[in-house]
Amino acid sequence: MKSAARLFLILLILVPALAMAQEATPEAVASVPMGTSACPAPATLSGEVTIGAVLTLSGGASVYGGPQQAAIQLAVDQVNEAGYLGGATLNVIFEDSASENEQAINAMTKLVEEDQVVAVLGPTLSREAFSADPVAQDNGTVVMGVSNTAIGITDMGEFVFRDSLPEAAVIPGVIGQATELLGLTRVGLLYANDDDFTVSGYEVMRDAFSELGIEIVGEETYATGDVDFNAQLTNLLSGDPDVLAVSALAAEAVQITLQARALGYDGYIIGGNGFNSPAVLEQTGADSEGLIVGGAWNIGNPTPTGESVYFVAAYEAATDSSPDQFAAQAYTGAWLLAEAIRCADSADRTAVRDSLAGIVDYATPLGVFSFDENRNPIHAPVAQIVREGRFVVLTAETGVLGE
Amino acid sequence: MEFLSSLGISEPVVQFALINAILGLSIYLTLFTGMFSLANAGFMAIGAFTGVIITQRLGLPLPIGVAGGMLMAGVIALPIGLPVLRLRDIYLAIATIGFGEVVRILILNFDPLVSGLIGMDVEITGGALGIKRIPKLTETWHLIIFLILISYFITRLHRSRFGRAMAAIRQDEKAAANMGIDTVYVKNVVFILSAMIAGGAGAWSGHLTRIISPGDFGFDKAVDILAFAVLGGTSTWVGPIVGGFVLTALPEVLRFADQFRGVINGLILMLVIVYVPGGLVNPAGIRRIFERLRGRKSPSAVPPTSTEAGSKA
Repeated sequence: MKSAARLFLILLILVPALAMAQEATPEAVASVPMGTSACPAPATLSGEVTIGAVLTLSGGASVYGGPQQAAIQLAVDQVNEAGYLGGATLNVIFEDSASENEQAINAMTKLVEEDQVVAVLGPTLSREAFSADPVAQDNGTVVMGVSNTAIGITDMGEFVFRDSLPEAAVIPGVIGQATELLGLTRVGLLYANDDDFTVSGYEVMRDAFSELGIEIVGEETYATGDVDFNAQLTNLLSGDPDVLAVSALAAEAVQITLQARALGYDGYIIGGNGFNSPAVLEQTGADSEGLIVGGAWNIGNPTPTGESVYFVAAYEAATDSSPDQFAAQAYTGAWLLAEAIRCADSADRTAVRDSLAGIVDYATPLGVFSFDENRNPIHAPVAQIVREGRFVVLTAETGVLGE
Repeated sequence: MEFLSSLGISEPVVQFALINAILGLSIYLTLFTGMFSLANAGFMAIGAFTGVIITQRLGLPLPIGVAGGMLMAGVIALPIGLPVLRLRDIYLAIATIGFGEVVRILILNFDPLVSGLIGMDVEITGGALGIKRIPKLTETWHLIIFLILISYFITRLHRSRFGRAMAAIRQDEKAAANMGIDTVYVKNVVFILSAMIAGGAGAWSGHLTRIISPGDFGFDKAVDILAFAVLGGTSTWVGPIVGGFVLTALPEVLRFADQFRGVINGLILMLVIVYVPGGLVNPAGIRRIFERLRGRKSPSAVPPTSTEAGSKA
């Protein structure tokens, strides 16, 4: 007992001293996988700091939840290895939402009220976020969406953040760049009209094309789960578009690309987030030539940041699989929380919220990251085109098809 | 409360359990009358959207929303029931699954449909995104009172002439018709009552989940509702309530099992169905188990149905 008390006393003196020493050189943690922290290592924080994550680990959307869980666990392990929180360790509790709104509410309630976590990552789906985020907001706990792209997520309250670029931020930029570089004039639109993700993607696309004064030669819809798109594609192609814009989930994105090529269309296809997956590229093979995709992050990005390279290597070592955009955003989310806790030097929920909202120019795999005044992410999306089975940055040169 | 929440049963879990118990009772009515209908998810959707539109778009109080949701579900059940209830067994099930899909797709395309008809853009059901940011107006005591009222109504119904007619139809529809029971009338009234209860559950739940989208009320939901009744047992009205509670609480209680949660959950349900085929609340089955324990020979296979009620009708 006596020696423990003595040790405590020594720590009490040493820790602030160390902190002061570090204040002079905030770059003290340059060896960590993320960019330089804006703050010195926390001086008073100690013990275990627990965050939560509500993910779709089972149910219809489990394909997203798995990589998210692996990425968050990886980030938490790295945070602890690097001693990023000083004397404290970061701990994460994962809860499954089973892809259901009800279970997302139950999981969020358990984390926020029973486990008393400092902050929560997730839920995976936007509709789950609309159900469960108010629970965190009402309890004054930060909740950060790492894959919510719907409009209005962060309007739910000042404790609601997200690090996932909304479709509304990605698509117009990509369409603008493509139009300017490739001189597009006629577009055909195809989308699933029964899914909130694809519908909001379609609306953003339509508005972006209209604003640029591009003629929309046709709009066709299908239902999620359809496998035959020949009728819709034939209608669209009869209008002779020079680009097809498709708002689809990954499964349909593959079939739409293959069937459009089979019908003899060899022009550009602009896809939303659903196309931004290594699986789409693999399954469409040579037919993916000319596919233009915008995303928050892509493993095929030809000019990745150092953080991105580090993340991909660490993720592949830990899981034996390649990360997708969902993993990158979840990983970044966990690091952002760690940075907020570090800067707050406290596990107090409100202090962490304020510190998170103040994050500016933090280097992450997604790029240099800040939150805007509505707690939405600010970082540049990447416009890429598939050439010979690989993603390359879209330029006037790479955009020329058919040689 | 402390003990419950340490098990993982927080207030929202209790609220969803109550909703699911009400849904279990809604399908119990049709099952008790021998109708294998899977339309309740569709009626729940109608109730949810009607209720939320009344409170959010029209700004009326929640009780009116719930009443409106029930009424709308009942009104739509009438023209559906008349042709569809001529079908039996699996054919009825398929037709009612079709009904559920029609409801889902109609709600999905409701806005463009109405906009086209009246010639101006309106937002009523919100398409695929549904209606979001609904305030949480439903309180636990609302649901408890609603459940008690419906349970009381069902116990009264069972003792009435009408309730005995329901049991008779379940036992043998042709024999019941020969005894002078107006089977078409009884079946349609039961179908409407069932729809109204499901509609009420939908309206309550819409003000709990804060977002409703057409995708929430698909085939999966129809099967869930059936499971509440089947697992709980359909020989008494207590069964579906117990089934709704157990099926809601079990995944939450099993959260400690992490990735094995789904496996254990499925295993428990399988064991229940295999070893207690009549459901958790099944007086005849429990009696049989006790008799077997005492070493007496069980009386020749008593069907797990309400034979007393049937014979009195």
